[in-house]
Amino acid sequence: MATDKELSDFLKSVEKRAFKRTVYAVRGDDAALDIVQDAMIRLAEKYVDRPAAELPLIFQRILSNATMDWFRRQKVRNAVMTNLSDFEGSDEQGDFDLLETLEAVEGTLGTESASDAVSRSQILALIDGQVAELPARQREAFLLRYWEEFDVAETAALMGCSEGSVKTHCSRAVHALAKALRAKGITP
Amino acid sequence: MTSLIDAKEKELLQTRLAARLAGLLGEQAAALPHDITERLRVSREQAVTRARMARRHAETAPASASSVVALPGGLAVFGGPSAWWQRMANVLPLLVLVAGLLLIEQWTAREQVLAAADIDTVLLSDDLPPDAYADPGFAEFLKSPPP
Repeated sequence: MATDKELSDFLKSVEKRAFKRTVYAVRGDDAALDIVQDAMIRLAEKYVDRPAAELPLIFQRILSNATMDWFRRQKVRNAVMTNLSDFEGSDEQGDFDLLETLEAVEGTLGTESASDAVSRSQILALIDGQVAELPARQREAFLLRYWEEFDVAETAALMGCSEGSVKTHCSRAVHALAKALRAKGITP
Repeated sequence: MTSLIDAKEKELLQTRLAARLAGLLGEQAAALPHDITERLRVSREQAVTRARMARRHAETAPASASSVVALPGGLAVFGGPSAWWQRMANVLPLLVLVAGLLLIEQWTAREQVLAAADIDTVLLSDDLPPDAYADPGFAEFLKSPPP
């Protein structure tokens, strides 16, 4: 059973990422804050008897459900379905070099330079915007896998899809982000 | 073989880029505005308070359930004798209601039978034969005003 401190520490460690992820989904700070609060309270009330190690997976599931509940309440089911259907995107993935983008990102942001702090924050905002633009399933897979650092199996369980789908979503997301960043001028 | 290595390298590269981008996202998330971090803090504290209440509730619930009585024959009576009587007391008014409804139905049926028997007795003991009531001419005679 998780103690108060364990629960508080866990929530503190995930709350900002949970908020950002929800903002990407619902595109509104107030709604995202309400959803995160709702998810925290559901976790606290219903899963307080679970060990602390189980909390991350349970919380992500609750957060996803709370977000879906919000969409249902908003009665924008059609919009959600449109966002979720990300199978229509083009499959061209090998046309550019991931390494170039990686070097560009690391070249632009990897070294801490005081002179280009503004430029750095602009690029961070740009990446943030591009992540928000990803199709919902790709974004969810990317964030769960690389931001929340769940493994492929856990991500698949949370998303209710196969591990192969998770890999595909992640790959497409990374390629889409790399491509978008290159298009925005982040080049070596 | 070469394509397998290429695929592995590509996957590794993809993972590195993804991790780098996720790191940058984390950096941006860490710099959220003060009002949002405050609201998140309040939500977190509310959640911890709720968890504490839920834990307390869970601790008191087993105490009330501890009155489960195990009988020597392996039979367990949930809640002990007092709870059994309480349940019976809850069911008893329902049983009385059902029995009352059955009695009323029986009594009504008996009344109907007796009323029909009375009518039959009057009809059969009358001078007028019962077939006369089915005769249209007799019905007209009954409707016509007395002379």
